Amino acid sequence: MTETVSENSEVTVLLVDDNPQNLKVLYETLKDKGYRLLIANEGEKALDLAHRHHPEVILLDIMMPEMDGYEVCERLKADPQTADCAVVFLSALDDLQAKVKGFSLGGADYISKPFQSQEVIARVKTHAQVIRLERELQARNRELQGDQARILNSISEGIYGLDENGIIEFANPAAGMIMGCPVEDLIGKSFFDLHFSTASDSEDNLPVMATCRQGVAENQRDIRMLRADGSGFPAEYRSTPKLDDEELHGAVVVFRDITTELENEQALEDARAMVQEQRDQLAHTSRLSTMGEMAAGFAHEVNQPLTAITNYARVAKRMMGKEQPDLGLLQETLDKVEAQSHRASEIIRRIRRFMKKPATGKEILSVPGLLEDTRQFAEVDMRNNEGGIEVQVEDSLPDVLADPIQVQQVALNLIRNALEATRSAGAATPVEVSARRCGDHCVRVQVRDHGIGVAEEAEEKLFHPFHTTKDEGMGIGLATCRSLIQAQGGEIGYERPEDGGACFWFTLPVSGAEVEVCAPEE
Amino acid sequence: MTEIQQTVYVVEDDEAVRDSLELLLKSDSKPVKTYESANAFLKDYSDKMAGCIVLDIRMPGMDGMELQKKLNDKHSILPIIFVTGHGDVPMAVDAMKEGAVDFIQKPYREEALLEKIEAALEQDQEQRKSLDEKQEIIRRVKSLTPREREIMDRMIAGQANKVIAIELEISQRTVEIHRSRVMHKMGTHSLAHLVRMVLSVKDLID
Repeated sequence: MTETVSENSEVTVLLVDDNPQNLKVLYETLKDKGYRLLIANEGEKALDLAHRHHPEVILLDIMMPEMDGYEVCERLKADPQTADCAVVFLSALDDLQAKVKGFSLGGADYISKPFQSQEVIARVKTHAQVIRLERELQARNRELQGDQARILNSISEGIYGLDENGIIEFANPAAGMIMGCPVEDLIGKSFFDLHFSTASDSEDNLPVMATCRQGVAENQRDIRMLRADGSGFPAEYRSTPKLDDEELHGAVVVFRDITTELENEQALEDARAMVQEQRDQLAHTSRLSTMGEMAAGFAHEVNQPLTAITNYARVAKRMMGKEQPDLGLLQETLDKVEAQSHRASEIIRRIRRFMKKPATGKEILSVPGLLEDTRQFAEVDMRNNEGGIEVQVEDSLPDVLADPIQVQQVALNLIRNALEATRSAGAATPVEVSARRCGDHCVRVQVRDHGIGVAEEAEEKLFHPFHTTKDEGMGIGLATCRSLIQAQGGEIGYERPEDGGACFWFTLPVSGAEVEVCAPEE
Repeated sequence: MTEIQQTVYVVEDDEAVRDSLELLLKSDSKPVKTYESANAFLKDYSDKMAGCIVLDIRMPGMDGMELQKKLNDKHSILPIIFVTGHGDVPMAVDAMKEGAVDFIQKPYREEALLEKIEAALEQDQEQRKSLDEKQEIIRRVKSLTPREREIMDRMIAGQANKVIAIELEISQRTVEIHRSRVMHKMGTHSLAHLVRMVLSVKDLID
């Protein structure tokens, strides 16, 4: 409810006198001055009019039958509807006592009879203005208080004002909602007793205690608070000291129930874990399918040492069958058997490691070692490539932090693609695999071939899932590579070499680097 | 006919397999020569080579199948034993169609390999012998004068001396002299044998 009194709006003046002659004089004096004039010739009537019309100024005769001016004033001041109006007493009585009594009852002023019209006009004008300003001010105040209350009421976080002992002086409606009790029940209670089982915990360590006692601001998440019924809930709160001229007057606590928030976080975490698991699954499936494609090559690769072992063993037997076996030669042959069996088990070890289901997780890796291992792996596939694979690694390359299997999977995929592209082009140039430092935080690995290259229109979709240029491809190779490299905090990309062929690169974060994600600094 | 030393030519890119096979064959008293690639063998190849080739079907660079084709182009008669891995059977079938004598899967038993090598060497010897015979026939055909050659062709075609004499406008006596020279140079007394010999090299003369 706003009651702004603008310059234009009418000021109401109530004239109260039992003498009609007096009323007439007053009326004549004040008419045409822009006031709305009301007239009453007795107390009850005056009260009724005042109650209904909220006059700014009341000219009130003291000496009246039935109810005198004093009583009228008293009752006006007692009614909140009329308490703010300016009561100007009118009386022939010109003694000090009467004036004092009038003022003591809340009168604003005093005009002695017989009155001068100039005086009446001046005083009414002054009081009308004062009251008008006062009412405006109050209206503004109410508005501001209303705003504040609305803000405090609509905030979903609970707010407490505490004194230095932790007694709740103020609580907003949200605090009551969270606590599960009316706000009134909270006021005057100890914040600590209400929200914490003080028996179990040392009081000094309770939340907000330091703010109340030492004026230290606090901010904690996921603490356990109690409701009015004794049930608990996870909460986050901030407490700030209430300071007045550096003197501590308690604390303001803002808190909220984070049950849903925690649930959402958990759900998000679960979803992330699921995505991670699915990525690992997909990566594993893709490794298995790579192994499937390479199976014939592996069989050949394992058969080589086995064949050699069989041959050497037969040779050794023959030697032993002789009358005077050459023990030196025999030793040499058996050494060869041993070397070949190591070779076979190394190939099998490599396959098994690659096929392992869950990735082993990130570890500190030497890039040259990893690339060399991958090269040997890829050579299985390379029997029809004349050029082969060349690995070139910059000196003093820093170690990286990554999952060895997943990185090898990516490198192997890129190298095999490069070999295939080279074969398709009938080229004899080698596939160049290189690694170099890239900025402070990255190592960049590059696989470059001089094969058939990537069609310009295919370039954009290279890393999209189910996009493939191969007849038998599923189009998940490079998409998987991208998700694997991103999981390492690296990036993967393609560059079109000017002199043909293709160039794929990926980055890996240097171990111990502070930044988690490394971007290429090209 | 000269007896040539038969050698087992091993073409195998894998060093350990090559080395072990060499030792194995040597311990079986077989002359062996090894090559690390198809190209290396091709460079060394001559039609004087006798024996057989033990050839790895999968090799980087030129593979076994390609080498076989190149050797076929050169009319090589060296028998080839292909060494294949698991899953290479379709390739082996193609190789057999192209004239390989046999194939063996890795890892193999020594006896099986040696048996196949023996068989290949025998086949080589026979082929070589028949080739030697054919070359002898060709050499003899080439020793004939043009007139003698003409008479021989007519003899093989079944013309009687009289017919030959009339058609060539020479005396029957002259035909008889040529005829006996042909029989002498070709080293036979029987017309049937002469026909057989000449037909066996028909593709190689003219």
